[in-house]
Amino acid sequence: MTHFDRRTLFRALGAGAGVVAFSEADRAQAAALEAAAGPAPTGMKWDKAPCRFCGTGCGVEVATDGGKVVAVRGDEKSPVNKGLLCVKGYHLPALLYGADRLQYPQLRQPDGSLQRISWDDALDLIARKYREALDAKGPDSVAMYGSGQWTVFDGYAALKWVKGGLRSNHLDPNARLCMASAVTGFMSQFQSDEPMGCYEDLELADDVVLWGANMAEMHPVLFSRILESKRRRPTVRLIDIATRRTPSSEYADLYVEFRPGSDLALANGILHLLVKQGKVAQAFIDKNCVFKRGEEDLAKIGYGCSGEQAERYTFNDTPKDSSFEEFKSFLEEYTPQRVSELSGVSVAHLELLASIYGDNKRKTLSLWCMGVNQHVRGTWMNNLITDLHLVTGKIARPGNNPFSLTGQPSACGTVREVGTLSNRLPADMVVTNPEHRAKAEKLWKLPEGTIPEKPGHHAVDMFRAFQRGDITCLWVQTTNPWVSLPNLHRYERKPGDGKFLIVSDVYPTPTTDRADLILPSALWVEREGVFGNSERRTQQWNKLVEPPGEAREDAWQIVEVARRMGLGQLFPWEGDWHEAMFEEYRSFTLGVGKDLASYAQLKSTRGLLWPVVDGKETRYRYAGGHDPYVAAGRDVHFYKAKGYGERAAIWLRPHHPPAEVPDAEYPLWLCTGRVLEHWHTGSMTRRVRQLHQAVPRAYVELNRADALELGVKSGDRVRLESRRGAIELEARVDGRGQPPRGSVFVPFFDESKLINELTLDAMDNISKEPDYKKCAVRVKLAEQRT
Amino acid sequence: MRRALAALALGAMCACSGESSSPAGVDVPGRPGATKSSATVRAQRRLFDGAPPTVPHPPLGGSCTQCHNARGMDVPGLGFAPPSPHEDTPGMSALSRCNQCHVHVLDTAEFVANGFAGVRQDLRKGERLYDGAPPVMPHSRSMRENCAACHDGPAAREEVRCTHPERTRCDQCHVPSVDDSLFTRP
Repeated sequence: MTHFDRRTLFRALGAGAGVVAFSEADRAQAAALEAAAGPAPTGMKWDKAPCRFCGTGCGVEVATDGGKVVAVRGDEKSPVNKGLLCVKGYHLPALLYGADRLQYPQLRQPDGSLQRISWDDALDLIARKYREALDAKGPDSVAMYGSGQWTVFDGYAALKWVKGGLRSNHLDPNARLCMASAVTGFMSQFQSDEPMGCYEDLELADDVVLWGANMAEMHPVLFSRILESKRRRPTVRLIDIATRRTPSSEYADLYVEFRPGSDLALANGILHLLVKQGKVAQAFIDKNCVFKRGEEDLAKIGYGCSGEQAERYTFNDTPKDSSFEEFKSFLEEYTPQRVSELSGVSVAHLELLASIYGDNKRKTLSLWCMGVNQHVRGTWMNNLITDLHLVTGKIARPGNNPFSLTGQPSACGTVREVGTLSNRLPADMVVTNPEHRAKAEKLWKLPEGTIPEKPGHHAVDMFRAFQRGDITCLWVQTTNPWVSLPNLHRYERKPGDGKFLIVSDVYPTPTTDRADLILPSALWVEREGVFGNSERRTQQWNKLVEPPGEAREDAWQIVEVARRMGLGQLFPWEGDWHEAMFEEYRSFTLGVGKDLASYAQLKSTRGLLWPVVDGKETRYRYAGGHDPYVAAGRDVHFYKAKGYGERAAIWLRPHHPPAEVPDAEYPLWLCTGRVLEHWHTGSMTRRVRQLHQAVPRAYVELNRADALELGVKSGDRVRLESRRGAIELEARVDGRGQPPRGSVFVPFFDESKLINELTLDAMDNISKEPDYKKCAVRVKLAEQRT
Repeated sequence: MRRALAALALGAMCACSGESSSPAGVDVPGRPGATKSSATVRAQRRLFDGAPPTVPHPPLGGSCTQCHNARGMDVPGLGFAPPSPHEDTPGMSALSRCNQCHVHVLDTAEFVANGFAGVRQDLRKGERLYDGAPPVMPHSRSMRENCAACHDGPAAREEVRCTHPERTRCDQCHVPSVDDSLFTRP
């Protein structure tokens, strides 16, 4: 109890002379409750932290008492959520206290059991295993698989250790499965990652267009901001372009349903109409844009899941210059009639969408997340959505922006900004560029040539290489690949196969079940951290409570292993290294338009949007009057795109069909995703009673007509089969989501109903992000509900 | 029809669980007995004081605001559905997305037990300067702008039911307590 003043004392004494509780009945109950569970906490201390879950980055205030988290509330001072949370956010405190928290390092024994070992033994063992693998087979035999839930510290420590210490680029995160297509989208168009706008766009836009994003469930607080904007300004319209009716569709002014994978045709169809109708902003394009196109031959590109590509998918795009004239003729074939046939979207709806993007009196905000990113041509789809904004000049202005949403709390901060991807370095740099490598080596005080030039394995190829035995030592932190990888049957593994798998996590998962060594990690406010959210906001929090048992933060685990491998010079700081590590990382970002705020400033604010120059954040990148990097007198200035003459690239990207399409044998589309109550693989949310009981198990959503044809009713058990696997699930008809005829939806959070045993490991050609949204399945009635 | 079925289902659930305090069997506001011992019921429906309560009735279909409208509604066979306390929540309206925060209880099993012990409602709060003085608000007003939702109407529990609902300017006399500190001269 830290706060015990006179008033608290009065309260503790109950009804003192001048203190009267609000009724006799309550007093009696208070006494009963106290007798049962001790006095209600009075020494609560409130501190700030970002939410642990999605990329929105809501601010929460966390109450601690007696060394435990006892409550949270939405932070009214946070510009992100202004006091509101979603059901997951409100239930954050219980995350820390699941009965099966991992508390001690555990080593797998030959009989499969787990034996508690000391941290010293565990860290020495990891150092030895990595050293042995490096000595035997070199840097291609070691890897690390991280996370968009890593703090900036964890990601930075991992990057420096793997790329600067192990001299390997085999470092990739689960964010490869989640927003890699947005990275390659922004990089290919602006030569700098991340959106130009911010959440304020949600209130300033007149038309909010969702491209395959169910924000009501996945970004609920941001969706509330849209609903509030609609309530205040009835002229605001919400347009939902989707392959399934979701709770978001219920609030849409216009719902446009397209056939899975045909969004490429749809976007090109809108571009076709904008050009035909003369609604392009010619002066804007002439001044600010260039045209590009890449490899378009389907036979050369493939999908990364068949033939040789099923082992290694290393396709490289070959960009070449194009022109507005070529753009026009390229779009010729995307006539409304043809696009309508391909997509199932009516010509009238196409024209309506073109009129929305083409109306220069109304501001347009496009939002997307997994529907666009988890797509065999996700980079192309990112390009096309941004093209819509570039050709109409509706970009880098308040309320007018393409904005990619993210699913993890620091997919932006840790993965995209720190650069924990197999081809990247901090602040938009890549390993393939000699100047970038030299800059990193200089800042890290490493000899020239330390960082290898060749990009490492992307996530899917990393696990394929581990399965083959090319990688013999793999460390997984803060993620659960044995639930989240596509086509899971490929990666069946039993410990003791000669390879060494280390897993750091907070709860037992199917991934820890396969580990040789399990390390217990500190979770959320059990350690100090920094996250970066979808709108470029960097948020810091302090350690508020002790982790259970011997759990330690992920960054500490990495630093200690590095020291034991003789790589201590990478982490030269004594004592508490958090601020020193952050400031070293920050030096990469200064002066290049990615400037992060100082650690001291982050500590004292509710986060700041980078670039932060002279202590001031930037709400709109590339926008005159907002962004200090924009040249004087310029409205818009894409200053990061040095390779394009400081202009943005409009890409010509054709329509390609999905990798697998329903046929007579497997007649239905399968789409997978999340539900509001559970987050990703459910390893945290399922340990909260209220969240688990709300959605206790996975199910399959069926279309009513399909269900009638199959003789299936809600509650029946059905067998879902693809070419790769089969599971039994409870059927839902007309649940919260309604898939259209010929398609089904299954959430992926349930470790006992692994839908990823059915999904296909087809990938985006450029980002190598898997497509979890489109493969073919069939459904059979297994057992009728009794 | 759907509502009648739901009422039947609810009746069956309550009958099965008897006096059980399992989340699925808790009293429904407005039903006989619901106004008694509601602090315990209130606690059962929340992870901690300040967390959004789970929905105490099974999914009924339709939109929540059909019954939980501005004035509340007496639902035959179910009880009184109080209005939403968030009616006037400024800035960000979560009004129509009730399930963003309030979830149903569809199962009574746990995935894994959880040792979290959250802050409980401090029933000693709401102090008065003297007997007869207006009590201070014992909770923050954020997301509870509509006082009448909990302090008036058939679903308001006895202990917190307002004796003078006709005086709609509540904060004229009842002030929120936003800080625990005492005044000290600088």
